[in-house]
Amino acid sequence: MTVKIGILSVAHMHAYSYASAVNALPDTELLGIADHDQARAESAAKTFATRAFGSYEELLAAGVDAVIVGSENVRHRPLTEMAAAAGKHILCEKPLATSVADGRAMLAACKTAGVQLMTAFPCRFSPAMVRLKSAVDNGDIGKVIAIRGTNRGRCPFDWFTKLDQSGGGAVIDHTVHVTDLMRWLLKAEVTEVYAEISSRMFQQEFDDTGFLTLEFDNGVFATLDSSWSRPKSFPTWGDVTLSVVGEKGVLTLDMFSQNLVLYSDKTGGVSWSPWGSNIDELMIAAFAKAVASGSPLPITGEDGLAAAAVSFAAYASAKAGKPVAPEVVL
Amino acid sequence: MFRVAIAGAGGMAHMHASCYTANPNACVVGVYDKRPDAAAEMAGANGATAYAGFAEMLEAARPDVVDVCVPTPWHVDYVVAAAEAGLKGVVVEKPMGRSVEDCERMAAACAASGTPLFVAHVLRFFPEFAEAKRQVDAGAVGTVVTVRTRRGGSFPRAWENWYGKPDWSGGVILDLVIHDLDWLRWTFGDVERVFAKGISPKLPPDSEVNSDYALITLKFKSGVIGHVEATWADPGGFKVGFEIAGDAGLLESNFNQPAGVPFVAALQRGAEAGAAVAVPESPTAVNPYYAELDHFLTCLASGATPSITPKDGCEAVRIALAAFESAQTGEPVVLP
Repeated sequence: MTVKIGILSVAHMHAYSYASAVNALPDTELLGIADHDQARAESAAKTFATRAFGSYEELLAAGVDAVIVGSENVRHRPLTEMAAAAGKHILCEKPLATSVADGRAMLAACKTAGVQLMTAFPCRFSPAMVRLKSAVDNGDIGKVIAIRGTNRGRCPFDWFTKLDQSGGGAVIDHTVHVTDLMRWLLKAEVTEVYAEISSRMFQQEFDDTGFLTLEFDNGVFATLDSSWSRPKSFPTWGDVTLSVVGEKGVLTLDMFSQNLVLYSDKTGGVSWSPWGSNIDELMIAAFAKAVASGSPLPITGEDGLAAAAVSFAAYASAKAGKPVAPEVVL
Repeated sequence: MFRVAIAGAGGMAHMHASCYTANPNACVVGVYDKRPDAAAEMAGANGATAYAGFAEMLEAARPDVVDVCVPTPWHVDYVVAAAEAGLKGVVVEKPMGRSVEDCERMAAACAASGTPLFVAHVLRFFPEFAEAKRQVDAGAVGTVVTVRTRRGGSFPRAWENWYGKPDWSGGVILDLVIHDLDWLRWTFGDVERVFAKGISPKLPPDSEVNSDYALITLKFKSGVIGHVEATWADPGGFKVGFEIAGDAGLLESNFNQPAGVPFVAALQRGAEAGAAVAVPESPTAVNPYYAELDHFLTCLASGATPSITPKDGCEAVRIALAAFESAQTGEPVVLP
């Protein structure tokens, strides 16, 4: 069957990539786009050859099977609650919520409505990450001791740096992907977070730099650089890397290293041209397949909230100047 | 011509000896090691005499300079003895000492006898690290906000497995990334606080390990945030790299290059061979180890102050031991 998908807000740039994936996949159909910014909805609808709806309610009533929430972070909760009430399965952009209370409300709304909630963590679908996980699961490096992770990027500005819409700067934006990968890999929860956070890159009210140290309930320790520290001139948007240190070896992941290097006199610079697999498309395909078959979604809302809670703990740690335990969300 | 006597005949002693031998202003006149065979071999390779005792070597070889390359906990004994012998200069391999108190004792003994003491933080003479500092100082990346370094490879095998005894070597935090800690302090100034996690600090003091790993976060007084990765747990070969991110750019060495290889498995294959520390090589016209020792000899000849002071050596040890303590207690450690 074809899964009919609606997109609730395209405020987040990832929503464009998801829309493109929905159009590209054989068993999904992009039924339409709604946005509280009508002009943005219409412009995106034109780009993806679909219909712009005048309101979220109209789109939810138009016969979609599932929705993608691609709004500003603080709107994840109301849009998820609205979609759940309409009986639609939901793929929500990360971070799932900007507070534990909002996240719990989202989980409760979906449970009450009997719909499934998935957090958009496309990195789990990276073939290199899948390969790394299978090596860990296979015991290739024995017991895992420590992980060094990074998720850096250029500063996205726009609403991402407006705290009343984003809930935080670089740390909330870039902690969750790699924290999720670590939780998934270790099958363990974070028990302690220490963070050094600064705003020295842009000297504004939002945080742009975060170095986190995590301790897991199985004794593994990890660090994560979640900074917006790539300059405009960096040859690509950023990175996701992991170095997983085990008793019998080390596994390294550089998720977005499959690139051509382009030296261009047209742009006057060096850029990397990616040729790796499209992980957004792999994620949308897995979401749609689970919706179509009625099977559990591969990533849950709980996963999203657990990762977001680590970013909240990072802010609390930086404020307190000492390690902090994240709120237990599950 | 500086007559150099070397205490210790391990991996780094060999490197230093070959640099003195190659230097037209120096020659190795004596080698002392607890292991007579090792001392004889290194002495033979450098046209020097092997001695059965350190005091005997000072007496008989009449050195101008003593270079201390014994395992870390014994640096203090040899440096203090050399200071009291009234030499022209003393070189001590990094880390300067096993404790801040040891470092201060060495500095005080050398100051008391007026003996210049040089801590061999060779990283400052590695061209990419020296050039990075020049670029940072010139404002190439604007105001620096973050800096990350990584260093290490497989576990180093040496005499009595002394690297594997955290009591002796201090593990990767003290022995290995003291290089980066000194370079970071040289480039970004003093450290305000340290937070670290690691394997060896969590073990009983008399433990013996065959691998070690640590992740250190540094907050500098300037506001810069640093991250240091230290590994003796990577069978994938020795790797060194760094990146410095500022508000106007990013400077890196061997850090973010697109290899087109997003997954690498480096697995242990039984007992690893290798007798000494893996020493990174950078094929440039001048060997960095030669450059650091030549710098000291040149300063001795001219009376100039060497670019690395005993205080530098002491402060690097202080940062490393703060990281070690943080990894033991689970709390950040604020430096004085």
